[in-house]
Amino acid sequence: MNYTVVNREIQIGDIYLTAVTSSSIFLIGDADIINLASAFDTPPESLIIGPFVPLTPKGS
Amino acid sequence: MKRLSMVQLLNSKVFLLSSVLQIGDSREITARSNVLAVQRQYELFYGGEGEVGFPVLTKPIPKLDVPASVRTYRLNESPVLSVRSVYLIAASTASVVHIGSTSTISGETRIKHIRQLADSIAPTPKTAIRITKDG
Repeated sequence: MNYTVVNREIQIGDIYLTAVTSSSIFLIGDADIINLASAFDTPPESLIIGPFVPLTPKGS
Repeated sequence: MKRLSMVQLLNSKVFLLSSVLQIGDSREITARSNVLAVQRQYELFYGGEGEVGFPVLTKPIPKLDVPASVRTYRLNESPVLSVRSVYLIAASTASVVHIGSTSTISGETRIKHIRQLADSIAPTPKTAIRITKDG
C-alpha cells in the first residue's frame, strides 16, 4: 500500500502549554515512528481506609 | 528529507524528573518513567516500601508494529515549520520537548497510585513532625 502525505506551508502563531508529563512528547518537527504507551493504575482497592500498614514490605 | 523547525521564542519555567528540552535534530528518543505515588493522611513512611513489583509496573505493554507493507511518501512543499512562540510552564516525568526532527520515538510510563486514609475510629498515629496552625 502506498501512502502519500503532502505537507504544505505551516505557520503557527503562539502555543500556550501548561505541562508535558509522563513520557509524552511535544514535538515541533518531523518524526518517522512514534510509539507511546501508558499504564495508570488507581483501582478502588488503591484507596485503603484503615490501619497504616506498610505496603508490600521487602521480601514478601 | 525532514523539515527545518523555526521557533522564534520559547518561554518555559521548569524541567524536572528526567525531562529533556532538545533543540536540534535527534535520531532516537526512548522515554521511560515508573511512578509509585503513595499518599497517606499522616506523614508516615516505613523504609523498604514498594520494592516488590506491582503488576502495573511490570506487565509488558503490547507494542503496535508498523506494517512494512505501507510505503509512506512525504512531499514537503514547504521546507520549514514555523512557530512564533511557545509558552510552557512545566515538563515532567521523562517527557520531551523537542524543537527539530527525529526518527523514532518510544515512550512508556507506568503509574501506580495508592492512597491511605485513617480509619475514623482508629487513634491518630504518632508522627515525627506535627504542624499546628497559630491561634
